[in-house]
Amino acid sequence: MKAPAASTRIAEYALAIDTSAGTTVAVLSMGTVLAELNYLEPMTHSERIGSAIQKVLKDSGIQAKQIATVVVGVGPGPFTGLRVGMAAARYFAIGARAELAGVCSLDSIALDFYLANPGQQPLLVTTDARRKEVFWATYSGVVDGIPVRTQGPAVNKYEDIQTFVDVSTMATTELGVRAGALGQIAFAQGLSPQGTNSEITPIYLREPDAVPSKGKKVSG
Amino acid sequence: MAIVIREASGLDLPQIMKLEIASFANDAWPEATFHSELDAPHTYYILALEDEDLVGYAGLSKLAGSDQADIQTIAVREDKRGLGIGRQLMDALTLEAKTRGAKEIFLEVRADNSVAQKLYKVFGFKQIGTRKKYYQPDGVDAFIMKTDIKRKYNSEPVVLGIETSCDETGVGIVRGNQLLANIISSSMDKHAIFGGVVPEIAARAHLEALTPVLNEALEKANLTLDEIDAIAVTNGPGLAGALMVGVGAAKALAVATGKPIYAVNHLVGHVGADILDRGELHTPTIALLVSGGHTSLLLVRDLLNDVVLLGETIDDAAGEAFDKVSRVLGLSYPGGPEIDRVAKDANPAAIRFPRGLTLPKDMEKHRYDFSFSGLKTAVARHVELAESKGEEISIGDVAASFREAVVDVLIKKAISACKDFDVPRLLLGGGVVANSRLREVAKEQCEANGIELRIPPFSLCTDNGAMIAAIGAQLIMAGRAPSSLNFSAESTLPVTIVQS
Ligand SMILES: Nc1ncnc2c1ncn2[C@@H]1O[C@H](COP(=O)(O)OP(=O)(O)O)[C@@H](O)[C@H]1O
Ligand SMILES: [Mg+2]
Repeated sequence: MKAPAASTRIAEYALAIDTSAGTTVAVLSMGTVLAELNYLEPMTHSERIGSAIQKVLKDSGIQAKQIATVVVGVGPGPFTGLRVGMAAARYFAIGARAELAGVCSLDSIALDFYLANPGQQPLLVTTDARRKEVFWATYSGVVDGIPVRTQGPAVNKYEDIQTFVDVSTMATTELGVRAGALGQIAFAQGLSPQGTNSEITPIYLREPDAVPSKGKKVSG
Repeated sequence: MAIVIREASGLDLPQIMKLEIASFANDAWPEATFHSELDAPHTYYILALEDEDLVGYAGLSKLAGSDQADIQTIAVREDKRGLGIGRQLMDALTLEAKTRGAKEIFLEVRADNSVAQKLYKVFGFKQIGTRKKYYQPDGVDAFIMKTDIKRKYNSEPVVLGIETSCDETGVGIVRGNQLLANIISSSMDKHAIFGGVVPEIAARAHLEALTPVLNEALEKANLTLDEIDAIAVTNGPGLAGALMVGVGAAKALAVATGKPIYAVNHLVGHVGADILDRGELHTPTIALLVSGGHTSLLLVRDLLNDVVLLGETIDDAAGEAFDKVSRVLGLSYPGGPEIDRVAKDANPAAIRFPRGLTLPKDMEKHRYDFSFSGLKTAVARHVELAESKGEEISIGDVAASFREAVVDVLIKKAISACKDFDVPRLLLGGGVVANSRLREVAKEQCEANGIELRIPPFSLCTDNGAMIAAIGAQLIMAGRAPSSLNFSAESTLPVTIVQS
């Protein structure tokens, strides 16, 4: 995928999808959100995703075939939910003949934080990773509409993050992932000289839970 | 037990009137009205009979020269509701309406009869008006509903089917009853070191395989997405996290292309696979579905309306047993082919392993159920005992004896089902169907009992998207409305729910 081609296409309409936490979808035009839907429940992604996309298209008055870019949050987030949005993004992009762009889901939280709190203060973003752990990343601010990530994404016990960064000097936020913000970041990336983020594999950060079979001995 | 649908005649009037009065109390038709309805050339009345007993009837009216038909009435005996009889009657009426050249079908339904309205919606009927206080003396409104035949009755719809219920990512494309493409990507190798399917690994592999499998299927069928009429997807039963990948992808594809979507039952899909092999499904049939995840015995009288689960495994699936025993014998994964390989030319009578749920008392309570966990343990004990005594075991003999025990139970129970229900047909499906001994014994036993054996080619037996597309096409050809976009992945979806 060539950066200039992607950036001219992204300047048209984009659909943004993220299911790394709840289900959030948005339609954007030139980096401006036309319609957005946010469902917070963490378990209903596969039920919601179809009608959520249908609804933001309708609310924005944009037809599927006008979408030139599908921006998808690639996590980190609980795997089962995360994959629903990524699978949907892949097939929507094929169906609408659109490009696919991936953005780290935590970046959208950072963007929203800095929009509400202008300045270049250090920020720690965390989201629930279950099993008493958090997904986290740190940021130094926003440059040209793109949050500048300094560490992460990673998964740790919250207490252990201190071993990587000085948590006491960092701002934190209660904000959640928002598809509109992901779309804005992808738009900014498409226009910036660094090129697009074409990394669209999920950020899992954990191996599947499974123990290699020892073979033999299954009686009892 | 089987439901027979046939056209009604004047001779059936007494039976019909009994059910008419029981069903419609205050607004039952007088006998004379019904009589002239049955006699009229522009009407078509059908009966649903169970052992000659009337359990339902329905009627259609279509005037010559008009392209509109009306559903006059439909009734199902109270104790037989919810069994798909209404749908069978509707299927027959809509087909007749189409044959008589109707483009639209109208009907009136009591505003307070939500069960009937739901049935009509399944057939694409939408409310287009209300007749105030139409039903007297109750003073209940009638809803006028209409469905559009031309749009729904695509005779050979092109359907793309998506399957991700276990460890195969499948996309298949069919045109009506004809197979156009069947692309399967299996993550089997990735599970090998774990000795069985790891759900998270399967789900990750689905996400990776989605795009290449879809592109390859379109290429194979030589079609673009614009030429697809509808999308079908497995929504259960299966591994929840795996199912959700396909469901999310399919819904987004449907919205992006504006195509209707059909949520399809995986097990019914396995039965439908035979349509793609021989161009049609012969019913009634018993179906034995044996894979790494399922061991189910089904009675199929009608693919879309009457599939009954007779029994299933109460512990391990048959394929799972092959995989576990293979591990016990120090063989690799998947176990089925390995066991088949070492059992070749070995002695299947060397060890008498237990046949689960075949004792007389089990045959009463669990006549069509299976159990393989005891068998697996027996094999493990046998091997451990020999080892502790320092005896050499013949892996070939153990494998052959184990395989014999599995095949014996599977086929015995399947044949009993054929005999019990007087069904002269047995259809096999699922990955274990690759087993050479299973095929051999099935063939022998079916021949001996005058039963027709159907085994579709392996690529249609193992999990695949084409069989899901096939069910989607059947649903469309039967006039079924698409699924709503809000259906969910159901890991324990019962076999009676063909479409969600
Ligand atoms: N020749 C064979 N004999 C017996 N079992 C087999 C054979 N070939 C494959 N299998 C079994 O079939 C299963 C895989 O079939 P499949 O339809 O993919 O099932 P699932 O996807 O539900 O695990 C595995 O358990 C495998 O051991
Ligand atoms: Mg499989």
